[in-house]
Amino acid sequence: MAGALKGRVIGVAVLLVWGILKLPIETELTAQLQHERLGKYKITASLRQQAGQAGFIAVLGGLRAPVADLLFIRAHIAWQQHVEYGRMKLYFDICTALQPRREMFWDMAAWHMAYNGAAYIEQTEKDKYIRDRQMKEYYKVGEDYLLRAVENCPDSWSLYDRLGSLYREKFHDPCKAAAAFARAAERPNRLDYTRRLAAIYLADCPGHEKEAYDKLLALYKESEKEWVPSLLEKIQILERKLGIPKEERVYIPEKHRLLPD
Amino acid sequence: MSTPAISIQNLTKEFIPPSVMRRGAITAVRDLSLKVEAGHVYGLLGPNGSGKSTTMKVVLGLVTPTSGKTFIFGKNSRDVESREAVGFLPENPYFYKFLTGEETVHFYGKLCGIRGKMLRDRTRELLALVGLEDAANRRVGGYSKGMLQRIGLAQALVQDPRLLVLDEPTAGVDPAGSREICDLILQFKARGLTVLLCSHLLSQVQEICDRIGIMHRGGLVREGPLDHLITIENQTEMVLENASPELLAELRAKIAAGGARLAGEGKPQQNLERYFLDVTSEAKKSDQ
Amino acid sequence: MTANSPSAAAHASAHKLFSLGRAAAIAGNTLRDLVRQKVFYFMLVFALVLIGMSLVLAALSFQGQLQMVMNMSLGAMSVFTMLLAVLASAMMLPKDIEDRTLYTILAKPVSRFEYLLGKLAGVALMLLIATLLMTVFFCIVLWFWQGREIASIRGSVQSELVDAEVAKVMAGTFTPTLFGGIGVIFLRAVVCSALTLMVSSFATSWLFTVIISLMLILIGHIVPIARSAWMDPIQAGVDVPWYLSLFLRLITVFAPDMQLFNIVDDIAVGTHVASGIFGQVTALGCGYITIYVLVAYLFFAWREL
Repeated sequence: MAGALKGRVIGVAVLLVWGILKLPIETELTAQLQHERLGKYKITASLRQQAGQAGFIAVLGGLRAPVADLLFIRAHIAWQQHVEYGRMKLYFDICTALQPRREMFWDMAAWHMAYNGAAYIEQTEKDKYIRDRQMKEYYKVGEDYLLRAVENCPDSWSLYDRLGSLYREKFHDPCKAAAAFARAAERPNRLDYTRRLAAIYLADCPGHEKEAYDKLLALYKESEKEWVPSLLEKIQILERKLGIPKEERVYIPEKHRLLPD
Repeated sequence: MSTPAISIQNLTKEFIPPSVMRRGAITAVRDLSLKVEAGHVYGLLGPNGSGKSTTMKVVLGLVTPTSGKTFIFGKNSRDVESREAVGFLPENPYFYKFLTGEETVHFYGKLCGIRGKMLRDRTRELLALVGLEDAANRRVGGYSKGMLQRIGLAQALVQDPRLLVLDEPTAGVDPAGSREICDLILQFKARGLTVLLCSHLLSQVQEICDRIGIMHRGGLVREGPLDHLITIENQTEMVLENASPELLAELRAKIAAGGARLAGEGKPQQNLERYFLDVTSEAKKSDQ
Repeated sequence: MTANSPSAAAHASAHKLFSLGRAAAIAGNTLRDLVRQKVFYFMLVFALVLIGMSLVLAALSFQGQLQMVMNMSLGAMSVFTMLLAVLASAMMLPKDIEDRTLYTILAKPVSRFEYLLGKLAGVALMLLIATLLMTVFFCIVLWFWQGREIASIRGSVQSELVDAEVAKVMAGTFTPTLFGGIGVIFLRAVVCSALTLMVSSFATSWLFTVIISLMLILIGHIVPIARSAWMDPIQAGVDVPWYLSLFLRLITVFAPDMQLFNIVDDIAVGTHVASGIFGQVTALGCGYITIYVLVAYLFFAWREL
């Protein structure tokens, strides 16, 4: 019995020593993984939030990703079958909380809310005042998702692209749209049109005409590939607005020329 | 004499009950000293709870003694090495159900460091010895109690040990199986193996053992060669065949005249075991 | 049978304190026992889960399905291997004790350390086979979905983007990170097995062992949060009273940080995980296994049977 007691005491002591030794290793490794996940960006969340999520995560064990996927599918079904936006938002909130690095969740959440949700209100709500207010709320929910999305997925150009589109199409705010596209253009692997859209929307942003003109001109000079109708149109409009002398204006192919003012 | 097969020196074993509330230890074995000489068949007897099994477990190193020491051929039971020379058959053994008889013996052989052809030969030899050749490829899960005991004997013998420890080797086995096991033990004895046997079946113990020890409440109360312990020194037994009544009367008169007392007289009876075995084997023959 | 027979002479040679042969015999036997108990039928359930999930997903239509197939398969793999590990390991010791098979094994010249190591190795082998089987099946399903995804891209995306999108799918499916992640799933299962073995070395029933082991594994998933709460309470933004802090410290010290083995959750979002991290996680896992086996031995060495 003395031996058994000795064995247990030594056993617990070994566990204790190992526990203390592993502590810095685990802390360091967690930090490294965190770094790989988020790069230099760091999400700050209060413990309370974390603890709520943690209890949840503990219950899920190693199943964070598939559970998030299942909730996403449920949201999708809720949309296809019942059109329940409240329930959908709940699902989207959880699945984005579980997998904040999954771009598609944010993208779809924002799209469903700002586009489909708002469109649904537009078709079903008769009272104009309520309709307008509720649609604005839906836009706002979509914007919230995308703002959190770009915080969580800082390398994603497509989320900034979606944000820009949302500002442009629903908020009719060219300044914010231009800023979002400009951010998208700075992300890795972005498609070239993001730069163009940043400049084109900036042209509509009061007070930024000169800046927009310079950007458009830079694109214009960069390659003929950039000579798309909308860009050429904006250049001509800005040249007139800014009072650029005719001889300093750029060459515009015949078919894209605006009527003389 | 040479090194004893088993030597137990002042063994005491106390068990602390698992419950925290109950205080005080239970003493299973108290200051036990015992020697089993090499080549002997030693019977350890005693009522349930007298400490026989605990003693065996200590000898085999399965349980640590509270005080005292035990040795197998001079090697302390605490050392794994001491078990090189022992084969053990526990009471009601179970083996891995999903293994066949052959695989079971193989497994225990590997544990003893036997490999390859030697292991295959040894396995075949042992299965033949215990009479399980036909069941060698059947899973142990389907074995009868007697077969389990026999496969248990085979695994105990796999590394050709010098000492066999058998705990109730015939418990729950039918008379024929029981007889076979007894005969096997007698064979081992003839080959010079030392056997430590625990059993409640006293007639078998009487038949097999050279020496016995009787345990009671953790201590040894009687110990010695079987013949010495149970022979009634001042009596003589004589069995006559075809004696006429006249001869018997004459003998009785002679006995009285000689100053002896006729303590008893009667017709000897056949041993029930023998009778049962004869009847069942006859029935088996007529079936075939 | 005689004392001078060749086998008897063979063991007259010096007894080795540790023999790989004996541990291997126990490992092989444990594996065979598990195989014959039909544990691999479990794999059929895994296959059915994957097929069922595929059918459900195929009935719905939205983007990102390939990713979901990957997530759910890896999730199913995580759960199956962990459950297999805990259940198989929890049964071993109590069953051997109850059936008294342990008596016959330990009455042979087998040390208790060899016995424990052999048991763990047997379960680890079984887990390895199970993981490989699941991986093969998973790859088939994934390959099918990859083809489907590419076909749907070709059919729907603007032509300007098709090549980029297809390349993205091709590059993002069968990656080294994916297989590294599966390796970590296996490693975690072995850690769980060693943990369970340690619990069963002092437990008296397999149910107790299963419950305690699963609890420790679950607690292991909140270790990083417990750790940051007492190490850095200001950043965590809460006031931690001393007793809570002590409790959190106990959790951090005694429970394994299971989140470190959750690399599959990162694979789910396509994060590239550096090979250095895999190396460190593997080293940590091996450390856990070693310590758990050692402690299991310390608990088991003097245990009364």
